[in-house]
Amino acid sequence: MEGRVFDAQVVLSPKDSPLGKVLSEYVCVRIVRMDDVDVGLFDRDWNNAIYFFVLNSDEQIYMRYGGRESQSPDTYNSLDSLRVALEQGLTLHQKYLQGSLAKQERPKPLSPRDMPLLVERTFAQRQCVECHLIGDFQNIQRERDGKLDKLSQLYRSPDIKTIGISLDVPKGLVVKEATGAVAAAGMKPGDRIAAWNGVPVYTFGDVQYRYDKVDRRAKDVNITVDRGGQAVELKVDLPARWWWTDLRFRQSSVDPRLDFEDRPLTSEQKQKLGLKPDSFASQVKYVSEMAKVRNTHDLQVGDVIAAVDGVDHDEFAHTAELYLKLHTKAGETAKLEVIRDGKRITMPIQTYVLSFRK
Amino acid sequence: MMRLIALAALFVPALFGQEQFIDWLTNYRQALTVAKAAKKPIFLEFRCEA
Repeated sequence: MEGRVFDAQVVLSPKDSPLGKVLSEYVCVRIVRMDDVDVGLFDRDWNNAIYFFVLNSDEQIYMRYGGRESQSPDTYNSLDSLRVALEQGLTLHQKYLQGSLAKQERPKPLSPRDMPLLVERTFAQRQCVECHLIGDFQNIQRERDGKLDKLSQLYRSPDIKTIGISLDVPKGLVVKEATGAVAAAGMKPGDRIAAWNGVPVYTFGDVQYRYDKVDRRAKDVNITVDRGGQAVELKVDLPARWWWTDLRFRQSSVDPRLDFEDRPLTSEQKQKLGLKPDSFASQVKYVSEMAKVRNTHDLQVGDVIAAVDGVDHDEFAHTAELYLKLHTKAGETAKLEVIRDGKRITMPIQTYVLSFRK
Repeated sequence: MMRLIALAALFVPALFGQEQFIDWLTNYRQALTVAKAAKKPIFLEFRCEA
């Protein structure tokens, strides 16, 4: 179970421990049933099984703590960084009581009991409203209403490592290593990330939440760092598909399951096969054994997928797999144009919908 | 193994008494009331255990 050890360490903090001493300055509350959570106020990536908020009795949120990367739910959880965050929370609270912290507008309330699919398939069945169900039913409803934006609502929580940020996790937002896009913008080890597109951030949870709010068509992001007490503004150029993350850990019903993985072809490979330089043609690198069981497709490792439903180019996708994820509804069929042993063939792919206790 | 560690951790208070550990409320509305009276901030954990 994700976060079990960290959860136990936090909940069972001795009062005289470094973390316990800071927690004693707070009213601590632990919610394990999501039935009556205000999904509007406590908006977050619901594929986190453990997540924290620091707020006040006026329901003004000071900061978030939590968040994960695709590879692991525990990368950014640390008792030391939590203590650092909570100490900052106490400072923010004093500022709020003194009237020197601007009030934020309260987001529109949304109860899980007002979400029809959740009521029909979970409350009515007397099942537990699990965190991931909230996010998934939101997306199913959006898809039904024609309002699902997969770029931001399926591919939630971009990975800061994609732009080259490695954090010194126990120290909170202190940068351990800066490479790639952020290094090119001037970020250095030892910098402390202080704001994301102008919004103050105190934790990795804050950064990931603010990064998630960036328009997927954005070309850059502004990061403010504290460098030796001086604020330094950095304009970071975002690389292609900066928002992409591995979805495999998500329990998502709007993610069409494909039973294969691919890799983009190089320019030389495309030229050799007579494919356009900007096409999303890709080579199959893995086929799940379940493909035969489920009759998903007849793809083989080494096949080149040249087009999907007659389309070979996309603004966002650089592989056929990503094109299918973005443009196919889970459960739909598509037609693949495949090059195998130098010959062009066509074949159907029957995507499938993940189902789990609903 | 992780499950055993977590379970063991959960039984520690029962064996040694609760007073040495942080007190946790389980009701959000109650937390708002207590925090207002004490002028304290709130640390809220959402834990999906299912």
